[in-house]
Amino acid sequence: MEDAAPSEPFPETELQFSPWEVEYVSYGGEHHLPLIMNLVDKELSEPYSIFTYRYFVYLWPNLTFLAFHEGKCVGTVVCKMGEHRNTFRGYIAMLVVVKPCRGKGIATELVARAIRVMMESGCEEVTLEAEVTNKGALALYGRLGFIRAKRLFRYYLNGVDAFRLKLLFPGAKSPFHIP
Amino acid sequence: MSALEIMDPKMDSGMEGNGFHSIEEAIEKGAAPVPLSSDSTVDVQRCIDVMDHLLSCEATWHKGHSLAQTVFSCIYLLRMERTSSHPLLHSYCKIMRSTCNAVIAAVSDARTHEEEDIFVMAHGLPLQGDRDEKCLSLLNSVEETISRQLRACKAQASRKKPSDDVGSLQTIPDLEEGFCRALLCRLRFRKHFYHALMCMRKHQGRGIELAKKHVASCLSELAFMSKSVEFLRSNGLGSCHGEIEYRTTASGKQPFGFDASLNSRLSAPTPPRAIQIVSWKQAILYFEKLMNDLDAALSLPLDPLLENILQFLVQFQKSEPHLVARAHLQLLLIQDGKLYGKDSFHAVISRAIALPEITRDLAFQENEFVVQLGQLVMNLIKILCTNNAWQRRKLGKILEDWGVISIQQLELAFRREYDEMLKVSAEENLYMKLSKHLLVWAEETTYWIASRFLLLGFQLELYSPKEYCMVYWYLYVIFVNLLEKMQLRITYSVDNSRRKGKKKQDLAKDAGFHPPTGVSSTCLLLQCYVYISEGLTMMLAALHNERHSFQISSPFNSEHERFIQHFELLQRANVPQHISYHLFKESTANVQISNVLKHNYFKEVQRIITSLRGSFARDPERLLELHRLEQVVDHNRVALGVIERVGANDVSLEISFEFPYHPYFAVAVVKRS
Repeated sequence: MEDAAPSEPFPETELQFSPWEVEYVSYGGEHHLPLIMNLVDKELSEPYSIFTYRYFVYLWPNLTFLAFHEGKCVGTVVCKMGEHRNTFRGYIAMLVVVKPCRGKGIATELVARAIRVMMESGCEEVTLEAEVTNKGALALYGRLGFIRAKRLFRYYLNGVDAFRLKLLFPGAKSPFHIP
Repeated sequence: MSALEIMDPKMDSGMEGNGFHSIEEAIEKGAAPVPLSSDSTVDVQRCIDVMDHLLSCEATWHKGHSLAQTVFSCIYLLRMERTSSHPLLHSYCKIMRSTCNAVIAAVSDARTHEEEDIFVMAHGLPLQGDRDEKCLSLLNSVEETISRQLRACKAQASRKKPSDDVGSLQTIPDLEEGFCRALLCRLRFRKHFYHALMCMRKHQGRGIELAKKHVASCLSELAFMSKSVEFLRSNGLGSCHGEIEYRTTASGKQPFGFDASLNSRLSAPTPPRAIQIVSWKQAILYFEKLMNDLDAALSLPLDPLLENILQFLVQFQKSEPHLVARAHLQLLLIQDGKLYGKDSFHAVISRAIALPEITRDLAFQENEFVVQLGQLVMNLIKILCTNNAWQRRKLGKILEDWGVISIQQLELAFRREYDEMLKVSAEENLYMKLSKHLLVWAEETTYWIASRFLLLGFQLELYSPKEYCMVYWYLYVIFVNLLEKMQLRITYSVDNSRRKGKKKQDLAKDAGFHPPTGVSSTCLLLQCYVYISEGLTMMLAALHNERHSFQISSPFNSEHERFIQHFELLQRANVPQHISYHLFKESTANVQISNVLKHNYFKEVQRIITSLRGSFARDPERLLELHRLEQVVDHNRVALGVIERVGANDVSLEISFEFPYHPYFAVAVVKRS
């Protein structure tokens, strides 16, 4: 899935504010769903149906976070976790921050909160896909400990490759001994 | 993710749009007239536009979109019988269909790539025709007619009487030559492309030389097509220059007879998204590259030696060839489970282990390990024909298969030796020698696969600069082991040749011995890789220790987890054994810039390169490699000198690692702020 940032109804110019002026909340219910859908729909070329959003937020509400600045939703992260080939794994599905609010660590904070919940829930690793050209996302996840595990040829419809990014938590069980 | 919202045009392919509901409705409403115009000049113009748009569609299909939304968005192709009264259009549609069939067949038969999944999807499309085998004769007849029309108009222009009266192509005499030429190069491109595809599928590479000639002809016809742009645009509409660059025809006009929405229900299982057909210019560039890739594939030397085949494949992949070229190369290499359709893989192995006399031994042929190794070699060749991203994943996965073979071989060898120690016969000796040769060759191949796996990571940009130290360290370990096995294998083959009474100069020739040193040139080149990997590891480690740069710190994990993840597949396969993160840390913990300078890794490489130039004098690829390595070591030596002089922990220094000279050996770039 993708990382993006919508551009309306915010002004084009960058907003100036301090990190502590941003409030982070966990998904609280149906009233948050239109905010999330609005943010993601505006920017992503990949269309997600209402069912897709509900799949994530109903099953894993503790893995969806929203960022608010002056009462407006400026960013969101939507994730899931579950068993995948004998590994309990977290997956980051969508990450969005509005353009004027980028570069202030909001995306990093949203992702970090989700990862902390995954870690506390017993996940062994976290994974996502990102376009190879999305330097911002790659730098963000790199700082958090993700490696580029694989390159996926022409993963996106526009022909762009993707990286499968993976973060391995310390002490995760593995089928063979790694000294 | 498969859920969709009804009436959302991005998701609902069954939604009623503004377009036609069916192909029949489109035809009824005049979307694909036959002829395209009652005016023969306009008819020819529009025909050329259809041909050009089909070329753009074909390029778009090759680049990863569905056939239904590209080539078969053409109504003339969907109802080909309608075009039978129009020889030009009919022959072009037939050759298009035959070409699509040939390409799909090749990609389906190659069958090892994920990217073929969309490529070969052709449900519900009218791809099979009764008389496709006659497509060439129809095309040739149309080409002949137009050639005569061209000769006639040239004769008239020079006021000569035309030799035969074929009637003109269209009604405007001044445009006759331009249109004839524009059509001829398009028809000839299709003809040569189809011939090339047919020749490439001939058994045992028999069609290679002829295919090369057809590919060369394709390239020259593509050049003529590009030249026809000026003529075709001068008769076109007055579109603005900027816009025309994105058009899908040479004339810049919209073609008749295409509607992608008609096939929207045939694009299951995913709802079709709107796709962009590539521009005609991009299509020409694509086909030029494809022809060059095919030419490179057809330069396959049909070498019986496995190591040369592997080297050829690595070289071929450097230009990132497209799926169609890679599929055809794979089919040239592997036919009917044999190399080039003629050499069984046990013969390939016996040559690789320098025991060709063993090839006819039935016990050898039927040996379960030999059979298994044969399968692994065949699989390895197929994998090396896939795209780099897929290839790396598969190379990592097969390491375990190769590693298991080695252990089994070893057990077999030891068991024989132990049980039969006192009853050693000539046959047992051969068996033990064979086990020894097979084991060392299998291990060498395993390390070669491991080195490709790690090196591809650089090409695919999988490593961040903070990870280069561990990657180069692991590479150093793999190269050391690869060199050891290679030298052992060569020693065995030399011993074997000596026993056969071969002369010294023949021995040297067989093993690729380097005259001054008596060591194989390939081994010396590999020794360079060992030194460079070690030098880069130590340089990065020193910078980490003295400047605290390239350090990995994250809130959720550490360098150890990154090590585990990057080398998981190698560790799982024990390639090699006893390698760990702790060993990496021990090797790099106390390194300083002064140590790196003292060991002079890069100077050693320079010394070897100087001596190797003579050996590689007739091998331009290896000479180029030596040149690149020289650039790497020169620049790194200078960088080391600067860092030592200024002081590694001087804050004014900015140090980064980049790849300006070699795809996987980095160069330290030192700047002062």
